[in-house]
Amino acid sequence: MNSGSSQSRLRSIASTLAVALTLVLAAAAGCDSREEPDLPSVQEKMRETHIYGQSKLRIGVATNEPLMGELRNGQHIGFDVEIARYVAASLGYEGEQRLEFVSVATEDRIPSLQGGTVDLVVSSFSMTEDRKQLVSFAGPYFVTTQEVMVPVRLKDKIRTIEDLRDPAYKVCTSGGSTTEAELEKHQVKTFVVKDVGDCVDGIRKGRYDAVSSDESILAGFLASFPKEFEIVDMPFGTSELLGIGVPIGDPALRDLVAFFLQKSYEQGRDGDASPWQTAYNRTLGPWLKAEKRQPQPLEVPKLVDFDDKAPAK
Amino acid sequence: MPVAEPAEPVVAEVEPGRVRWDPAERRARASQSFWTAVVGVPAIFSVLRLGVEAGGELQTTLLLVANVGPVNLLAGFLTTAARLLSTGLVAVFALGAVLAVSADRLPPGTRRRPLFARWADITPAWVVLASFLLALITWPLLYLPLLLPAFVAAFQLRPARLHERVMPRLLLIGALLAGYGWLMLPTMRDAMRQGDEWLVLALIVVPPLLALFVAGPLPGMVIRPLASVTEVAVLATLIWAAVPVITTPVLPLTVTTVGPESGPTEDVRGHVVTTDDVNMVILQERGGVRYVPVGLVRAQVLCPSEEELPRHQLRIHDFHVEDSLLEGMGRRVRPVHRIDAACRTPA
Repeated sequence: MNSGSSQSRLRSIASTLAVALTLVLAAAAGCDSREEPDLPSVQEKMRETHIYGQSKLRIGVATNEPLMGELRNGQHIGFDVEIARYVAASLGYEGEQRLEFVSVATEDRIPSLQGGTVDLVVSSFSMTEDRKQLVSFAGPYFVTTQEVMVPVRLKDKIRTIEDLRDPAYKVCTSGGSTTEAELEKHQVKTFVVKDVGDCVDGIRKGRYDAVSSDESILAGFLASFPKEFEIVDMPFGTSELLGIGVPIGDPALRDLVAFFLQKSYEQGRDGDASPWQTAYNRTLGPWLKAEKRQPQPLEVPKLVDFDDKAPAK
Repeated sequence: MPVAEPAEPVVAEVEPGRVRWDPAERRARASQSFWTAVVGVPAIFSVLRLGVEAGGELQTTLLLVANVGPVNLLAGFLTTAARLLSTGLVAVFALGAVLAVSADRLPPGTRRRPLFARWADITPAWVVLASFLLALITWPLLYLPLLLPAFVAAFQLRPARLHERVMPRLLLIGALLAGYGWLMLPTMRDAMRQGDEWLVLALIVVPPLLALFVAGPLPGMVIRPLASVTEVAVLATLIWAAVPVITTPVLPLTVTTVGPESGPTEDVRGHVVTTDDVNMVILQERGGVRYVPVGLVRAQVLCPSEEELPRHQLRIHDFHVEDSLLEGMGRRVRPVHRIDAACRTPA
């Protein structure tokens, strides 16, 4: 009898505790439901960027790199341009009226970001440690290698880096590019011009004998003059990570661009048609020797967005 | 306010010392008050919401009143208030049942049973069950475990009712907990990995264990204080939680691109009140009404609001923890969620 009553007392104490704890948990849940998210949201990041409230987004692109960034009949086309359009639309700038493409030469990419004449640069911009001191990068959105393109008449004569060192051949490249530095490292004397397009023009006019640049850029010129040129596979050994250039003073914008590249990357990884894949198939895809995939962007921040609750599968 | 429907019968209960009510008459009165509350409370809330939505402006409120149909208003209210309503009812019925079963332990000389206990006594079981069902489909999944102890308390399902012998009873409880664990394990692992999700872990792990003991009865000395504290707490919570319900917009948020055929455009962020042959009337997000000639409307997109952003990055078998069962199922029907570019532009 005594044990029965002590058992019942024990049970009533347990009940009291259970009721109290349930109420405490419910109160905590109620408070939690009114909290702000811990992670920053895309919208918050947007408010931190220098483009917030701007009516137009200015993006620096190349206008003379076929397949990558080209101005044809007043229309900007190419892989870089399509990536730029995707990023702009994700940032809230959709349609020609809200986008301004600014033609930026290879050597002007960094100054134009520093000087504020463009908000972003999407123009075969290799992410290098040196450049990271001057501008921020989101990406990579493309991985390419350095190659050499020669006119068909020289395709049997220029086969190695050694051949390039031969003073008989004039090697051309664009100023301020990673290729220029790489060729210098291999002691190849180069003629430096403004854009790769100028090199190609020069070769066609007989001024130069070879042009070196990213495979993606050269593929564009090969697509324009398929009978006149050939790309020679040379072991330069460095891979070029192309990224989107952002002013160094705007980390929020860099984070957002990286976040949207990651979104596309995840879509592609899940086997859906990602914006990247669409851009690639429409431009570079048919002209590159090996099939490429979107590389995983680096340093992607965790952000909260409206579609976070959508089912993953 | 939303729990007002059982309020009337209590008035009847307060007075039995003076007037003897016929039980049938009392029930009739209770049912009458119940339906009055069911219709009246949402109506009052909806009108309050219109006032808030209009930004406190009389003319804007009148514009909304003229254009928002009562059915839309009621439906809009129910979609946002169902969660609050079910929370209030579940809290009252669970606490009421526990207090009712403990009431015979009240210190001698106490005249009245606690308020919630009386409410629980006179409420038909189907109303209680319906409240729990409403909670089940409208509460965020993360808070659903709390429904377990509440359900056990409201229906007084002590472990003893599972089986009369101890061993099978323990086995049954073990099996139930194991099933629950299997359902929740991946989510708990994710929560552990994320590090700072202690509340989520507690909300998942603790309630099923509490459910084993929560049914009562309570010791006599805690009944009175518990009853008073919870009455105040439930009332305060309802008022506190009613604020977001009143401030939730009645009309959907859109961004309308306005401009002549070839010329600069402007994005107007706001709620479309009505559209006729001449104008589209937009209640702007930051205040003020814009009459946009329909010829100038170039595009219009539906936008999510920032209150919908999730706070946790956790899922239970691909259902987001902050979605209710209804929302989660809805997302399965329309899995792709596109955010239009125009929604990112500032207000």
